[in-house]
Amino acid sequence: MDELRSLSQRALVSPVTFSLLFAFALAAAIVAITGGDPLAAGEEMFTGAVTGSGLRNTLGRAIPIIGMALAVSIAFRSGIINLGGEGQMVIGGLAGTIVAIYLPGPGFLIVPTAMVAGAVVGALWAMLPAYGQTKLRLPILITSLLLNYVARAITGYLVRFPLSDVSVTLATTRQVPETARMPKMPIFGGVSLSLILVILLVVLLWLVYTRTVVGYETQMAGFNMRSARYGGIDVEQRTVQVMVVGGAIGGLIGTHLIIGEALRFIDGELVLSGFAWTGLLVALLAVNRPIPIFVTGLFFSGLQIGGLAMQRNAGVSWRLSQVLQAVVIVAVACRLAIRRSDRPTAEAGETEAAGLGEV
Amino acid sequence: MTLELELRGITKRYPGVLANDAVDLAVRPAQIHAIVGENGAGKTTLMSLLYGLFPPDEGEIFIRGEPVRFSSALDAIAAGLGMVHQSFKLFPTLSVADNVVFRHEPTRRGLIDRAASAARVRDLADRYGLAVDPEAAVEDLAVGVLQRVEILKALYRDAQVLILDEPTAVLTPQERDQLFEVIRRLRDAGRTILFITHKLGEVMAISDRVTVLRNGRAVAHLVTAETNPAEITLHMTGRAVDLDRRAPEHDPDQLVLEVSNLTVRGGHGRPVVEDASFGVRSGEIVGIAGVAGNGQSELIEALCGLRETDAGSVTLSGRDISDADVAERRAAGLAYIPEDRYGVGTTRQASVSENLLMGHQRQPRIQQKGWFDREAVVGLTRRLVEVFGIKVGSVSGPVSNLSGGNLQKVVVAREMEHGTALLIAEQPTRGLDIGAIEFVHSQLIAYRDQGGAVLMVSAELSEILALSTRILVMFEGRIVASLDPRRVAEPEIGLYMTGAHTEAAVA
Repeated sequence: MDELRSLSQRALVSPVTFSLLFAFALAAAIVAITGGDPLAAGEEMFTGAVTGSGLRNTLGRAIPIIGMALAVSIAFRSGIINLGGEGQMVIGGLAGTIVAIYLPGPGFLIVPTAMVAGAVVGALWAMLPAYGQTKLRLPILITSLLLNYVARAITGYLVRFPLSDVSVTLATTRQVPETARMPKMPIFGGVSLSLILVILLVVLLWLVYTRTVVGYETQMAGFNMRSARYGGIDVEQRTVQVMVVGGAIGGLIGTHLIIGEALRFIDGELVLSGFAWTGLLVALLAVNRPIPIFVTGLFFSGLQIGGLAMQRNAGVSWRLSQVLQAVVIVAVACRLAIRRSDRPTAEAGETEAAGLGEV
Repeated sequence: MTLELELRGITKRYPGVLANDAVDLAVRPAQIHAIVGENGAGKTTLMSLLYGLFPPDEGEIFIRGEPVRFSSALDAIAAGLGMVHQSFKLFPTLSVADNVVFRHEPTRRGLIDRAASAARVRDLADRYGLAVDPEAAVEDLAVGVLQRVEILKALYRDAQVLILDEPTAVLTPQERDQLFEVIRRLRDAGRTILFITHKLGEVMAISDRVTVLRNGRAVAHLVTAETNPAEITLHMTGRAVDLDRRAPEHDPDQLVLEVSNLTVRGGHGRPVVEDASFGVRSGEIVGIAGVAGNGQSELIEALCGLRETDAGSVTLSGRDISDADVAERRAAGLAYIPEDRYGVGTTRQASVSENLLMGHQRQPRIQQKGWFDREAVVGLTRRLVEVFGIKVGSVSGPVSNLSGGNLQKVVVAREMEHGTALLIAEQPTRGLDIGAIEFVHSQLIAYRDQGGAVLMVSAELSEILALSTRILVMFEGRIVASLDPRRVAEPEIGLYMTGAHTEAAVA
């Protein structure tokens, strides 16, 4: 009972709760000021996100958001700023698409093969910045980000020329054949099978982080690189490993987005979707922990889907849900910063003294 | 008589720890008041509360009879307090004068008057016998001089009460004596000094009064002239301690570590360790003495695989590990207590148990095929906490809640647990209190008695003399002497440390 109470107390003072309340209050105020009915808008948003086809869409959109959050969180946890999620997703996605379109054979073989191809190419792409850092001392932060543009350019060229579907005017590949598509599950009105994959990834990462040596070493290296090195952890090898795994997941999600959703690799579409960056924000908010990533990803997805329903049914622009999303992020960031600065441990006291002692 | 400073009933709680428990402190003007206590006794917390770094949960502070409430160090400075921290807060590229007058620069027509600031600093330095060149760049100065700069900074801001936090930890014996001279002069000029330390010799030598802290409480207020080290120790530890223990004789056995012609280059290609050759046998403690910054840290980092070497070889238990990485060296039989227990020895954000696990995580009894045996992990941490008497609220709590002494126990426990042929202990007792020092020393001796080889680096000559079977002295990257502690006196080692005796034959 006490445990339950302390849990609810923690939830009450948690920065997430505070941020959500703050964000929704602000959004309600905006709706009210602009002459709308905040309650009705809220209701539409909620029902739009969790009922009927809305629920299916929420779950569907959550797949890439959660997936990309997991992909980048792996590197973040280890103290490596991988901003290349987008490039890994795009280039892996095209690789998976090529397999799905051009490889003959039955669906139960092609779909997994396409996913593996996407993962492998995403991983290889992520190895570039990883080795750049460990061998040439080029910071991953910079190279992974810049490689996004390279990935965009390469895929753009490929779908415009060698892989172009000349029967349409778009810069796109051919359509993924019927047999090579990611199946839908007969639940919630047909959610992609990839949802299971994402759930498995969440569970797997949770197990890795809490139960395995690799998970421990990754986390410790993320906390304190010098101490990790001192403890015998091969930080360079860890860097390559987390980049490879993150890149592989990025490639998986990219492939899913084509063979499970868009069915054509249209130039620029995966970039425009913004999933890589939404995922990155989710990873930051959830502090790189898999289960909170899952919950936060579902929530962000619901906000976006509910926002569309709100626009349809309550006449309030869906952009309000983007405002909500942004305010949640800013508020959580503020609260985290405040909490960090008022923690009065002996150590914190000393570091603060370092700042004040100059006076 | 008005007290210069008075604390009444100061209490500070941290989760699971009562850092200060109703502490009273009365400091008379123009006195040197020592605050002693073991690490974790609450000295640093108490001084941080006094200096306004964070507020006490309960209690009041009076300065010259007036109640004060500081919300930051700025308030404390305005009220006439000055603190000299253990780690100095100076701008390395600026001159001494620039550092001292920072934020209170004398100006002429709106511009900083550097001549005036140098003159004022020189004047201040002369008055209190603080030998410092105001024009010198801070980065070129020795540690002892930096401390004088810090003291000047406080005096320049007209601090009536100077708080010196473990000021002798980084000083050579000669520098320490100079500091004491300065402190006495300041007292004679009417300033009040709070001197935080855990070294009894210093308390007896310099202070007028002593307040002893233990477990967060002020357990004794003494007049130095009316007490003795044994009484203070009793108050500090709650029990009698044998301070003057010499390691008993022990026959060294086979060669465990052999270092041949090792050279390590620093940032500018300049050798920081030059042509070092020595060996450590099982059953002996080899102590490396030297003034900090003469290549000891670089030598140890090179031995542990944390720094690249340029020439020479390292052999551990007959295996050439010159090119091995850290994990391979650890597996070959090397454990390491690093000098920086905050930045290297432990990870602040991680829990006590995660810190205790570091370096053990790949051992077969801890994991199978990469999966932790959770019972083994819990067993390991429980046992280490128990056997080494680490005071923790919870092993899953953050290690940053631990005091310096307890943190060092975490590191020592973890490294001892490896049971390797070689243990490297770098400044193993720096900043620790008597109880913790005694603990670490007895652990090192036990390690040696079980046939371990110990390589110890220490800036404390007394420690080197008390524990070592053999003493090496490092000066400017070279090993300039190999001495027998039974046949050498402290001053002679000091001469080697300062380079006065470099010609001696090295065994």
